[in-house]
Amino acid sequence: MSTKTPVPELVLDQITVRFGGLVALDDVSLRVPAGRIVGVIGPNGAGKTTLFNVICGFVTPSAGQISLGGRSWKPRPHRLNRLGIARTLQGVGQFGGLTVLENVLVGARGFRSGEEPAGRGWPAGRARQSEQDALAALERCGVAEYAHAYPGTLPYAVRKRIELARALAARPRILMLDEPAGGLDTDEIHWLAGLIKTAGTTVLLVEHHMDLVMSVCDEILVLDFGKPIALGTPAGIRANEKVTEAYLGTAA
Amino acid sequence: MTDVREKRATEAVQSKAFKRKKTPHPIWYAVAGAVLVAALTHYLPPFRNYQLATVGAYFTVTAGLTVLTGLNGQLSLGHGALMATGAYTFALAQNRWLALPLSFAAALLVTTLAGVVIGLAAARLRGPYLAGLTLAVAVVVPSVTSTFDDTFNSDMGLSIALDPPPGAVAMEQWQAWLCWTGALITALLLAVLVRGRFGRDLRAVRDDETAARLAGVHVARTQVLAFVVSAACAGLSGALFAVLAQSVSPGAFPLTLSLFLVMAIVIGGLGRLAGALCGAVLLVALPALAQTAGERSGSQRLEGNLALVIFGVVLVVVMLAAPGGLASLRLSTIFRRKR
Repeated sequence: MSTKTPVPELVLDQITVRFGGLVALDDVSLRVPAGRIVGVIGPNGAGKTTLFNVICGFVTPSAGQISLGGRSWKPRPHRLNRLGIARTLQGVGQFGGLTVLENVLVGARGFRSGEEPAGRGWPAGRARQSEQDALAALERCGVAEYAHAYPGTLPYAVRKRIELARALAARPRILMLDEPAGGLDTDEIHWLAGLIKTAGTTVLLVEHHMDLVMSVCDEILVLDFGKPIALGTPAGIRANEKVTEAYLGTAA
Repeated sequence: MTDVREKRATEAVQSKAFKRKKTPHPIWYAVAGAVLVAALTHYLPPFRNYQLATVGAYFTVTAGLTVLTGLNGQLSLGHGALMATGAYTFALAQNRWLALPLSFAAALLVTTLAGVVIGLAAARLRGPYLAGLTLAVAVVVPSVTSTFDDTFNSDMGLSIALDPPPGAVAMEQWQAWLCWTGALITALLLAVLVRGRFGRDLRAVRDDETAARLAGVHVARTQVLAFVVSAACAGLSGALFAVLAQSVSPGAFPLTLSLFLVMAIVIGGLGRLAGALCGAVLLVALPALAQTAGERSGSQRLEGNLALVIFGVVLVVVMLAAPGGLASLRLSTIFRRKR
């Protein structure tokens, strides 16, 4: 968190999504500055995952603009990786027929958001580089020992970490985490908070676990029935009456 | 980090040592296969050589099909039709120019193009719809021969002019060499292709399309490529069958052939080249077995249908005993079962 005003890396401008008659997102705007950790919270069905799907190109917004690094941008899912955007899915979206290492290797495609030129050298050299990236990511998530196991045989918490490793192996500049703490216990969530804080990338976080969100985020966007109802620091959000109302309902 | 790892790594998980299995480069398998085939063709009688050649021709198509169905998850019931495409192209080219390499190239090219067309449609379809589309292809292609009977000579088919084998080589031996050259090159190329990133992407798409897409895999392109590769294999196989029979006719590529191919790779073990080889052997061995059994029983009517029954029974038994297919069987697994 630098003191100078960070450049907005990802900007959502008045995004609206309609599914038939249902308004899933209503005029949502969000500026995500580089290197910041931004949380998106809200009750079930508030449109958090839809917002992620818009950024990933799975859902085309009915209205609104997205820009990445200052340029207008139309996201497409399979191009995210080379743009340096990695996303994890709710639950575990793993390839059951691939070993843990191979799972992570699918994400480590050798596109760098950093200064190194992408895809240089012989294919064999690139494959080795990808493998090093993948192993480093597994090591970072503390699951390197399972590299040659199949994910189906592993406990849920380990699989969640493999999911994180696959996202990190792409060396992303924006990391999008969709309920990374779902189904994890306190120790695991504590570890996860540490990882997010030290990720060194921009992080977008959708999460229900309030302690995690409040402890790691620089900024939080609150959605309720697709409408943005609050945007601010964790302390500000905690004190916001509208947020309390959305979560707990109005006093009778 | 460490505390959690210690806590989570349960006994059951840790007891298994998760080691990577080192496998030799596929080229060694291909070399070993070539040596074995060369030796076999030297000693086997002509009819056995012919059967060996047929195994090679079947292996060419099952190898491609197992990559498509087993690794990429696309079920094709139309590979028999792609084989017919290859066979007819080979026949037409061979009868016109009488140049074996050229005819093989033409067969490969035309089936590859057919694969692109079907693959583009297939990449948009899933499950039963994909099966339906490929089934339609399997039905349509043979009937094309009777629609354009000037070129394809309807049900009679075309006979193929072949140069006599070089030197003092017997025809069956020559056929076996041709078929196995095609089969081993195909299997080697597939094995190399599947080892790297492409193979990983194929399987990732099969297991979870959304996650694959997010990880940077171009799902549609991967699926089309897989289809094209396996179509090319089918085309080569069709051309090899044309060499074997020295003729082509729609009757040689019925719908049941496509179904048999799928059954063979399932029995052999989906997604494994070794399984495709097992399947190819079965495709030759089981009908032969059925024929012998039919002849012994003295019933003419039994003969034609017995192969289907035997295939069905083998499929059921293998799926019960070894769900991963014959190629998944190891001596150690059998031993453990018995204990």
